[in-house]
Amino acid sequence: MPESGLVKLTLLTGLAVALLLTACGRSSGTTGGLAEFDRDGFEARLDESELPVIVNVWGSWCPPCRSEAPLFATAHQQFGDRIEFIGVDVQDTQEGAAGFIADYGIEFENLFDRTGEIRQMMGGIGAPITYFIAPGGGLVDTHIGVIDEQQLALGIDELLAQG
Amino acid sequence: MELTLLFAVLTGVAFLWLATRVSRRRLAGIDHLVDSVLAAAVTGMVAGRLAAMIFTGTNPITHPLDVVIVRGGVDTRVAAVTAVAALAWGFRPSVPARLDAVAPAALAGLAGWHAGCLWRGACLGTASDLPWSVALPGSDVTRHPVEVYASILLLVAAVGVSRLPARPWLATGAAVAGAGLARLVTQPLRPSLGGGPVLFYALAAFVGLIVVVAAVRGWMPRAGAPSDADHHPAT
Repeated sequence: MPESGLVKLTLLTGLAVALLLTACGRSSGTTGGLAEFDRDGFEARLDESELPVIVNVWGSWCPPCRSEAPLFATAHQQFGDRIEFIGVDVQDTQEGAAGFIADYGIEFENLFDRTGEIRQMMGGIGAPITYFIAPGGGLVDTHIGVIDEQQLALGIDELLAQG
Repeated sequence: MELTLLFAVLTGVAFLWLATRVSRRRLAGIDHLVDSVLAAAVTGMVAGRLAAMIFTGTNPITHPLDVVIVRGGVDTRVAAVTAVAALAWGFRPSVPARLDAVAPAALAGLAGWHAGCLWRGACLGTASDLPWSVALPGSDVTRHPVEVYASILLLVAAVGVSRLPARPWLATGAAVAGAGLARLVTQPLRPSLGGGPVLFYALAAFVGLIVVVAAVRGWMPRAGAPSDADHHPAT
């Protein structure tokens, strides 16, 4: 293969790997700091919500979750008075969760979901997942995987426009 | 598995490749052209990703694998400046002639990246009632297809730059100004959490226009050894 072709192939392969690598590891742990996720209570809370809700499913073991965490911290600062933000930490340790929340200065409420039950309740696999929920609990959109700023901003705009 | 971002990148590469085919005469004499441009793009992307990690509080030394999660954010400013610097470095010693030659193709590649929103389902911007506005599936709110606007503007800029007379730095300056203006005018229509790097786009447009004026007036240096590309007028 000519040298230029090899360089091109190497660059494209590297780019493809970089863009495709979104897999996460996982670990199990014990509860302690964050409140336990309770399916029935959570459903009732969404049903009774007068504000739109954004639920972000994350884990401290999940690199893509780290990459999007600052976006949610920023979005909460900007829209926290018009949208309720809730984080759900899945299949994690309380120590990991505390470190994650401190690292990114997350100020909205987070729940501890040891088994990842929220995914059975609302759909989706893996982490991160972001659910956009209208007032009254209607699911507007589910974003599986890393969300970027434009998609998050669009989801927020859509919730506010519908609300 | 998330493939849409890859498709968007490939669309950009396809536009770039097509543009190099269209402007073969302009690009004659530049060896490894697509390699140089792709290397500059990847260098810019990595630098932009590292910058985004640092700016948002993720330490790239303790979390080195996070660098590959491009969707997590790439700092546009650092990425653009690094990519242009890497391209200039790769084009030594005939930097102005080669940058001028590749400028339209680079704009076309950027246009392709924006057109890649069609793969990603991420074309839509702020709400609009214009006839060509589009709604998200299941939504009643119609929106500007803002990334399509950006793509069209960049393509128009690419064609315009390709028709400029051959003067050192003229096409380069016009391309930088065009890219900055295309992003600047579409940014208000683009959903974002902080308004986007509007000042950076404005600065790019301003600097590009200054370079254009200087090139037209003949103030720009014609640095570097002559190459074949220097002797081919713009097509």
